[in-house]
Amino acid sequence: MKNKLKFLISTSLKKKTKTKWFMVANVVLALLVIGIINIDSIITFFGGDFNEKIKVYLVDETDTFYDDFSEYVELVEKDLYDGDGSHFEIVDSDKSIDELKKLIKEDEKESVIVNIYNKDDSEIGSKLISFSTMDTMDYQILSSAIMQVSNIYTISSLGLTEEQYSKLINPIEIEREIMDEDINDEDENTNMIMTTVFPVVILPFFMLTIFLVQFIGSEINDEKSTRSMEIIISNVSPKVHFAAKVIANNLFVLIQSILLVFYSIIGFLVRKGLGGDSIMNGLGSEVGKTLKTLTTGSMGDKLVPIIILTFILMVLTFIAYSLIAGILASMTTNPEDFQQLQTPIVIVLLLGYYLSIMAGMFKGSLFIKILSFVPLISAVLSPSLFVLGQIGIIEITISILIMFATLYLLVKYGLRIYKVGILNYSSTGMWKKMFKSVKNKD
Amino acid sequence: MLRVENVTKYYGNFKALDDLSFDVKEGEIFGLLGVNGAGKTTTFRIIMGLLEKTSGKVTLDDKPIDYSVTDNIGFLTEERSLLTKLTVREQAIYFGTLKGMSEDKILERLDYLLNKFDIMDYKDKKIKELSKGNQQKIQFITAILNEPKLLILDEPFSGLDPFNIELFKDEIMELSKKGSMIIFSSHRMDHVELFCKKLVILVNGKTVLKGNIKDIKEQYRKKNIVLKGNIDIKKIEDIKGVEKIIQKSDDEIEVIISSSDVVDDVFKYVSKCKNVTKFIVEEPSLNDIFISKVGESYEK
Repeated sequence: MKNKLKFLISTSLKKKTKTKWFMVANVVLALLVIGIINIDSIITFFGGDFNEKIKVYLVDETDTFYDDFSEYVELVEKDLYDGDGSHFEIVDSDKSIDELKKLIKEDEKESVIVNIYNKDDSEIGSKLISFSTMDTMDYQILSSAIMQVSNIYTISSLGLTEEQYSKLINPIEIEREIMDEDINDEDENTNMIMTTVFPVVILPFFMLTIFLVQFIGSEINDEKSTRSMEIIISNVSPKVHFAAKVIANNLFVLIQSILLVFYSIIGFLVRKGLGGDSIMNGLGSEVGKTLKTLTTGSMGDKLVPIIILTFILMVLTFIAYSLIAGILASMTTNPEDFQQLQTPIVIVLLLGYYLSIMAGMFKGSLFIKILSFVPLISAVLSPSLFVLGQIGIIEITISILIMFATLYLLVKYGLRIYKVGILNYSSTGMWKKMFKSVKNKD
Repeated sequence: MLRVENVTKYYGNFKALDDLSFDVKEGEIFGLLGVNGAGKTTTFRIIMGLLEKTSGKVTLDDKPIDYSVTDNIGFLTEERSLLTKLTVREQAIYFGTLKGMSEDKILERLDYLLNKFDIMDYKDKKIKELSKGNQQKIQFITAILNEPKLLILDEPFSGLDPFNIELFKDEIMELSKKGSMIIFSSHRMDHVELFCKKLVILVNGKTVLKGNIKDIKEQYRKKNIVLKGNIDIKKIEDIKGVEKIIQKSDDEIEVIISSSDVVDDVFKYVSKCKNVTKFIVEEPSLNDIFISKVGESYEK
């Protein structure tokens, strides 16, 4: 019987991996993953330039603000882009506004004109001219710089000393203190982590779970609808058959996950080869920065247990989803029925996904903590709350234990349904038959 | 020996099988007959362990049938039970391996059977690309791939032309000669009559007739006499026990009699007639017996 189990597993795996569609899907996936990691290079290749600077023609009728304006733009950019170079080239222009407008209209559609002029003795006026609408961030930077020079002008016109002036413009240092000793100030970064890194982890989990559910369902459904199930079950027990489906499909998910990681590594290597940023800066600098925060800050201590616990919970949840998919598929008699029965599974998955993304908003409410123990949802919600510091290792371990108990119940009672379901071809009184089979110990 | 003893099966309150008993010895071909819904498929599923019986016992060589013996059983279901996306070769390897056969042995036997059924060209074709008849051949081939000790054939000839039916018959007879126990169900009584020595007729799960076909025919006393010649039909009608006369042609009649005892009386009269060229006492066909038994049962 062991050999038959091995044979069923290998046949099921081969059926999925040795098809042209698996090859096609993986070529597309590989191209997508590598493409996403190198999206900036691709955009540049097609004519986009992330390093192209926006030319700002400063027409300063007061003839005093070029230095202050340039300095402030640089300062704000440094803050926003973490010293990642300047996006603006400030040109102190002596051309007239009309001449510059003509130039922009004809040759430099990306450039802008900043016109600063005297309104009265203590106030300046300004005008920002561009060919089209501007990027919000660029507009914010330039308008802040204009505001700053306006302040300087107003302050100097009031006759303030240099000391008074610098006191006024110097930014205030804010010292941060959080009274809860369990939380340090770096935990404030976790919200950002939740909205950037976690979806990157949860999304593949979500995608692979959908794969898993659909593969198990369609395989069982196919064997049922062709009636070959009778021949199969007359040679191997439903227990062996069910185990083969669960193991084979989970192995498939594992293979697909490894391939996804492999494609990502290729993507990062391509990025490095193209002379892009460091590997940590792949997937966009934002995520790269967040990963740096994760590994270098106090989060680094949490990283090892969270990776191990999340991995265990996710593996258990994969198995649970495959058991549920198998049980549901055994009850259906055609692919359409299974499609419908699979909807609740997708809803539960989505619920877990959204709850984990929004976990920070619930501010550690009891309700969300209780939900983190709920099987299937716990795989993504528990680690989220753990990262946010709302639950500890004990709670996440309890989630794992609950998941083990759920698997035990699914195997014990699900197998009874499966035994009856796979040889049942009538949808009449289906639920009654299933509930009856749960009570039947044989 | 396969032994089915007092098997009863309920689906809820519905009694699908009522105290069914029979046995099949090595080399024997056994007929399980009945109209649709009589309980044939339920019986097969119980033998294969696919259905739990409510009561009774099923044994193969005095051991209950479980997964330790299913490698020696072949099962051909009434409906197509093939993985249509697989090729013939893949299908054979799949079902053969589940029967505990090695791949070499499977392919060797597959080649032999494909040649025998003249479908070698389809070895690497997908099942779904084959005609109904060829699919049935593949189903039959996969059922007998392991040269089973016990072979269950539920309507094996459905979708087959007369030529292929002959091929199937030959193979079934060959398996029987090699010692396989074969249980056979068919709506075609001529096939059953040709193959089986013993049978059971089921009506609504109840056994209405059981035993050796020869004995059954003997017990079934109703016979027909075919006569040809210059015969006075009125005189024949007057003989006690003559139920009906069917005019088959100008000078040929068929006399339906209530029992074989009437044959002598009819013969006494006919021997006095002139120009009698035919006097044949016909045995009742299994079809007649089946229709009669099923009809009686419905009347009750």
